[in-house]
Amino acid sequence: MTLKEKIESNRFIVCGDIGPPQSCDGDVVREKARHFKGYVDAVNITDNQTAIVRLSSIASAKILLDEGVEPIMQMTCRDRNRLAIQSDLLGAAALDILNVLCLTGDHQKFGDQPEAKGVFDLDSIQLIATVSQMNRGFLLSGYEMKKAPRFLIGAAANPFAQPFDMRIIRLQKKIEAGAQFIQTQPVFDLVSFTRWMERVVALGLHERTAILAGVMPVKSPKTFLWMKEEVPGVKIKDEYVERMRLARDPEEEGVRMAVEIIQALRGVKGVRGIHLMPVLWESITPAVIREAGLKERG
Amino acid sequence: MRDIATVNKPPLGANERRLPRLVRFFEDIVKVPLFRCQRCGECILSSTAFICSQNCPKRMRNGPCGGTRDDGSCEVYPDRACVWYKIYVRSRLLNRVSLLYRFNRIHNWNLEGTSSWLNVLRKRIESPIWFVRDDQRDMRP
Repeated sequence: MTLKEKIESNRFIVCGDIGPPQSCDGDVVREKARHFKGYVDAVNITDNQTAIVRLSSIASAKILLDEGVEPIMQMTCRDRNRLAIQSDLLGAAALDILNVLCLTGDHQKFGDQPEAKGVFDLDSIQLIATVSQMNRGFLLSGYEMKKAPRFLIGAAANPFAQPFDMRIIRLQKKIEAGAQFIQTQPVFDLVSFTRWMERVVALGLHERTAILAGVMPVKSPKTFLWMKEEVPGVKIKDEYVERMRLARDPEEEGVRMAVEIIQALRGVKGVRGIHLMPVLWESITPAVIREAGLKERG
Repeated sequence: MRDIATVNKPPLGANERRLPRLVRFFEDIVKVPLFRCQRCGECILSSTAFICSQNCPKRMRNGPCGGTRDDGSCEVYPDRACVWYKIYVRSRLLNRVSLLYRFNRIHNWNLEGTSSWLNVLRKRIESPIWFVRDDQRDMRP
């Protein structure tokens, strides 16, 4: 069963997340894939996240496919103009990579080569519209393809960033452009998230797209501090940081926290699944999934 | 097929740019000091509450990226305000929030540096929306 069918069949979805290595070592991706296989429905493959050069998302997605894990290929607008984006998408479709997450991409300033030219020919909403148009059989030029791809289109949403009303507008625009599922930033503030979800549900947006809430198992107090300082758009309640700091075994506490958040999220109306992103801690996935009772989703 | 990009327009030749350059001169006098116009030639000022969205480091045309900080500053330049944060605040003030729902088309780079005014007259780009009808005003989410 593909992710598309699972989303259509109203099952609870669990997605994973893999960051490819900064080298040509495909075994790293294979190794990470092993932690997810059998535990999640699909796995995100990041596209040069935080603007650092990594093994390309298309190649990594292909490796995942060969390993028997369904990939969600991330596609950002930072590194490609509209020609490259369309050609990469066609290439991905030819390799049977059928899930694509459309992002604007982190600004190159955050990476290790800030002197690079940021392309940003499209923005995320325009990218979603482009993929929708390709699904209908047309390239941006209006050329009708002999064979149209069949992408499942994903997009991101940040319920925690200012201006909050604009986030709902953006979500609506993304859905109208053709986003079939939405992954949110990691939730470390259930109150804000619930409030955002209430507005989403009030507008009926949760019925037009599948909303997958982000969950991030954190390994150490240091990770929290780094995220608070360095990663924009992530909001972390102080109580979590404090709990982590006081914990005798931070790793165990990290798992417990993730499980707690997952269980709370399952009770929030409109949430169709979760997106687990254990950054640099992929090996913890099975434990989190098992303890959250998600293994027997059927 | 939805209209998401201006398509099949050949690059503008030197002759075709002569008149635009003249109009552009006057447009610059108005727009650069007033709106910090970035001269994209495909003006969407009317739907962004008269703040030029192209000052955004990512040149977002359809709303803010996910990185706006809590105080409304930009993720790339923390000492600047997020352009889209400003746009949202002013859209509320001017009752133009409904225009933020519009899909702004993919930028036509042929038009970079040309006069938006002429481009509107020549129907290369959509015309600006000056007035928002009363019944459209309250489209707040």
